[in-house]
Amino acid sequence: MTVHDVRIEVTPLQTEGMRDVRGDVVRRQLIADHGIDVGIVRSICGYLIRSEYDASSITPRVQDIFSDPIIEFGAVDTSVIHDSNFFPQTPSLSVTVGFKPGVTDNPGAAANDGFQVLFPDVNAAISTYTTYVFTNLPETVDNAWLASTLHNPLIERAILATRDDLSSGNASVITFPERPTIVRQSPSIIDLEVANEELIRLSVDGLLALNLTEMQAIQAHYRMAEHQTARHSVGISSNAPTDVELECLAQTWSEHCKHKIFASKIHHIDTETNEDSIIDSLFKTHIMNPTHDMAKEVDWLLSVFHDNSGVIAWNDDWSVCMKAETHNSPSALDPYGGAMTGIVGVNRDILGTGLGARPIANTDVFCFGPPTWTGELPSTLFHPSRVLRGVHAGVRVGGNESGIPTVNGAIVFDERYIGKPLVYCGTVGLMPRRLADGRESHEKNPTPGDTVYMVGGRVGSDGIHGATFSSLELTDESPSSAVQIGDPITQKKMMDMILEARDACLITCITDNGAGGLSSSIGEMAEYTNGCEIDLGKVPLKQEGLSSWEILVSESQERMTVAVAPKDTEAFEALAALHEVEATAVAEFTNSGYFHVKHGEETVAYLPIEFLHDGVPQLELESEWIPPVQPEFNPPTSLDNTNLLEEMLARPNIASKETWVRQYDHEVMAQTAVKPFVGKERDGPGDAGLIAPIHGDPQGIVISCGIAPRYSDIDAGAMVAAAIDEAVRNAVCVGVDIDKMAGLDNFCWPDPIESEKTPDGKFKLAQLVRANRELERVCRAYRLPCVSGKDSMKNDYGVWPNKISIPPTMLFSLFGNHVDVRNTATSNFKKHGQRIYLVGNSKNELGASEVAYHLTERKLAEGIGGNVPRLPEPERQLDIYRRLSKTIQDGLIRTAHDCSEGGLAVAVAEMCIGGRLGAIIDIDGIGEGDAFSRLWSESLGRIVVAVDSENEMEFIEAMSDADIHLIGMVTHAQSLIIEDGYDELIQANVTDLTKSWKEALDMTGGV
Amino acid sequence: MSDNVRVAVLFGFGINCDRETAAVFDMVGGSSERLHVNHLVQGNRSLEEFDILAVPGGFSFGDHLGSGRLLGNRLRFALREQLQKFVSSGKPIIGICNGFQALVKTGLLPGPENASFEPDLIQRASLTLNNTGRYEDRWVTLEFDSDSPCIWTKGIQRIECPVRHGEGRFVMPTDVELDRLSANHQLTVRYVDPSTEPGTNPSDDLLPFPLSPNGSMRNIAGICDPTGLVFGLMPHPEAFYTMWLHPEHTSMKLNEEEWEGSGLQIFRNAVEYVRSQR
Repeated sequence: MTVHDVRIEVTPLQTEGMRDVRGDVVRRQLIADHGIDVGIVRSICGYLIRSEYDASSITPRVQDIFSDPIIEFGAVDTSVIHDSNFFPQTPSLSVTVGFKPGVTDNPGAAANDGFQVLFPDVNAAISTYTTYVFTNLPETVDNAWLASTLHNPLIERAILATRDDLSSGNASVITFPERPTIVRQSPSIIDLEVANEELIRLSVDGLLALNLTEMQAIQAHYRMAEHQTARHSVGISSNAPTDVELECLAQTWSEHCKHKIFASKIHHIDTETNEDSIIDSLFKTHIMNPTHDMAKEVDWLLSVFHDNSGVIAWNDDWSVCMKAETHNSPSALDPYGGAMTGIVGVNRDILGTGLGARPIANTDVFCFGPPTWTGELPSTLFHPSRVLRGVHAGVRVGGNESGIPTVNGAIVFDERYIGKPLVYCGTVGLMPRRLADGRESHEKNPTPGDTVYMVGGRVGSDGIHGATFSSLELTDESPSSAVQIGDPITQKKMMDMILEARDACLITCITDNGAGGLSSSIGEMAEYTNGCEIDLGKVPLKQEGLSSWEILVSESQERMTVAVAPKDTEAFEALAALHEVEATAVAEFTNSGYFHVKHGEETVAYLPIEFLHDGVPQLELESEWIPPVQPEFNPPTSLDNTNLLEEMLARPNIASKETWVRQYDHEVMAQTAVKPFVGKERDGPGDAGLIAPIHGDPQGIVISCGIAPRYSDIDAGAMVAAAIDEAVRNAVCVGVDIDKMAGLDNFCWPDPIESEKTPDGKFKLAQLVRANRELERVCRAYRLPCVSGKDSMKNDYGVWPNKISIPPTMLFSLFGNHVDVRNTATSNFKKHGQRIYLVGNSKNELGASEVAYHLTERKLAEGIGGNVPRLPEPERQLDIYRRLSKTIQDGLIRTAHDCSEGGLAVAVAEMCIGGRLGAIIDIDGIGEGDAFSRLWSESLGRIVVAVDSENEMEFIEAMSDADIHLIGMVTHAQSLIIEDGYDELIQANVTDLTKSWKEALDMTGGV
Repeated sequence: MSDNVRVAVLFGFGINCDRETAAVFDMVGGSSERLHVNHLVQGNRSLEEFDILAVPGGFSFGDHLGSGRLLGNRLRFALREQLQKFVSSGKPIIGICNGFQALVKTGLLPGPENASFEPDLIQRASLTLNNTGRYEDRWVTLEFDSDSPCIWTKGIQRIECPVRHGEGRFVMPTDVELDRLSANHQLTVRYVDPSTEPGTNPSDDLLPFPLSPNGSMRNIAGICDPTGLVFGLMPHPEAFYTMWLHPEHTSMKLNEEEWEGSGLQIFRNAVEYVRSQR
């Protein structure tokens, strides 16, 4: 059979009314991000088809697959750029971008699928590329720089052709990405009877991320006679590990999978209080124990910590679960692919919860460097605007194409995130309490003999070492194989199929293939039956020649591991075939006590389940708290607060993110009752997401979050308390059922282990200790169990002393019940005459506040030090929240807004913007401190509400002894006036405020 | 059972509005079934079993090679006869968002020149990238042509509902073709400035963004075929089945019986149409 390579190029028609939008977007984004106008840009989509069909067979079908007959022109085996109908003059430059070999090419896969419809049973491969044609590029624009903005060299190749190249016919043409043939290596035996230095070298060179103690624990295992005998009996090297085993242990024992820092024994010293104590596992002490205590008091905590997400009983028929993950390192290397795999990966955590939950909502919280950054940038890092665009696009495509609404999120900016962006992706899931056969769906119940399927995508060399890599700091040499691009449609098909399989009661156990690949997924599931036997020879591969260890640990995307009872395998496989989903039996559960991996007949790994999961030695770490010294924040005495308000509204941390957030589908599934943007022009801020997922039933689920990383500059404990309180406040603002809320803690920390690379490790660990103590204190007081969490502990870039560490950051996500979504509130003022109340007290807490950073950056203040917002009486606070939430549930309050970054002035301004209404406010008597702090302080526990006058008395009674302050009234006038007694502090036009708030982060470059 | 109106709601390959689309047909008295496309392609099931076909929104095949195109191809090549027979026997079809894109690319919409011709499955129009280049989710106001033969939109003048698409710009090669659709009242639904009076003829001039979210020619949001049985639109009426999905429901005071969303009538019209033809 002859194999042909056929090239098809497609470009938009240029007839009247037709546009080249892809090209237009390139132009606009360069204007928005860099202020550079590159002139008209045109685009060409290319397809390289490798199959038994030649150009003459494919030409008649071009309009059936590749080009749209109404809007596009398609050509076979000719370069459109040389077609004078489309390019009458030779263009200045063309940049052709295609994938590197082995990188996921989703359009190529879709094109191939379409190709198979017309040419059934064809053996084809299709690779795609895009050519950007700059017809009249200004000479000031550097070609190489321009190309660098259009591709990521880690995963893509770019071919440039200048005007000279094009006119002389010397322009090179992109060709099919050839993968080098690889030959499978037999498993090797690693000799561990070596000196300690050699053990370390094995770990470092092999990207194993294991320390000496851990390597020694592995060494000791292979010295034991009982293991040697057992190993001999299955024909594997008796006294030394295979590379498969060592890789498997490295994945399973990685910081990413085992959370060794949270599980460590910490010697903690506090120089302020003279405390000197030992903490045996932060996780058990401050997260797990409080939740288990709370579980004794409520009947709705169904599954906490041990599964892929935490599950609560929502009502008698349905349970709800939630999980949030981070995907920071991959997003730093390839913002688009890294973020996309982040969101589709956490979707799989939900699908892999219990016997399979259906993802019903996504949340995204990002931390980036300032998008307008003009300072220095290490050559290996992307500009923050590029990271923002890439991460946003990845999450947008991943979420939208999966058909899951993005209902809540945040974007936070700080210079230190230039080194490592944080990309938090969360997903909420829904599942029936019981399946048709009576099993409770939140529990897995495999038995020995069950067949284990790998379902979804295939295994490739992409994504090898993701788990161990993310447990190391980012350097120039970080491997490109750690980056993958998600394929949301393959995953969507798999998700449809698995949910049908669940409802047909075909699944006994299910988990996601994420970090650590099959090694982790089957390894974790094997704990249920105490054993499994895998045959790697059965695993379908993207490319032949992968070695056993690579197949075992590859993190190739879109895969679930599903166990099925032998009687159900036929039905399961039929369902997979219907959905065109690949499902391959690769293993069987046993009760042998061993994680037994074969490749064909050969045993390549034979590890006791107990050693695999519990053999990792506990870390012992040192922690010392010395309070950081920050120059005191003192605002200048003469300040125009009206101007300051407009500036504050334009601060990236406060400004509207609407143009970004609108690009997420937040309404698919027809359930979103409070959307990310609310109010008259649907552009005011939403405080929390509220969904009613059962069609026709108004019972809801609230989804909110809180994050306050800069408070860590004073105290990471305060940072955590603020994040939790913010998440709860946001939920209260839409009327959450305060007695049924659960939380997720996602810690992102700089490396807190003292070493040469991290001389301040003790301090960073002390920050973690304080953070966890506050987490426990506030969660216990709020009766808010943490049901699932995650930590990412190496968020640094570079090498000491030029190391950039992120501020210690904890995202707190909350999901809770809502009694009836018809009674909820939004932040926008509704009508003239509404009375405005501040719930809670303002304190002089300007330390690490947004206004302190703003004035310090503007060189109008010395520093950001001072009182950071605290939460001294959380029990009392909970009572206030319960009362306020009840007034919303009872329909008394329809307007409520969280008071956080930028304090009261910003909160009230946002409420005016949402309602396109004015307000007159008096801040006299709302708390301690001078007028400046009452305007801008970020004291916790505060919510601004507006109440219709007919409900005012009832509201006051309902709040009883809670601290509430009447601060003003909503007006028709388009102006916000804020007074302090007789002093007018602010008089601002609502239209101007709207403009400041909306334009700062628009970044669309126009329509 | 003669009263039973059976609705096939397609899913699979990235369609993702199947659950809510099935739910709204059930709410108005239909009897819906989410049906995987391959059941029809492989012949396990037949469209003959159903009275109404709905192609919901989503991202079939990831919108690669143009939204709705690959799904359209599966329908066009594998279900050609079934689809032609379905329409010829007077059964309604709706395509919403990605479903509309698929129906346009199969050629079921706008369909042949007049109602007496068989559906020929020739593509005459397209839906392409929004002028903004961005996928967006936002609410729009829609004005319906009360003279349209469309059986789905009877009695509806103006509603709000969300659009959620990146490729919703309706285009045809020439004005002549648009004029023909206009004369046939096949331009069933168009984006409109909410400050205008309902029922006044909407303008053919392009509305600015975001009143028209995508820059569609003549502000077209949805069209029907000459028979009025096949209807497609970019906006999502199923996403406004209840008032609590309206962006401003917290500004309204509604009684218990006022919570029905105005998107639901479209689906009720079709179910009632099927009943009326029996």
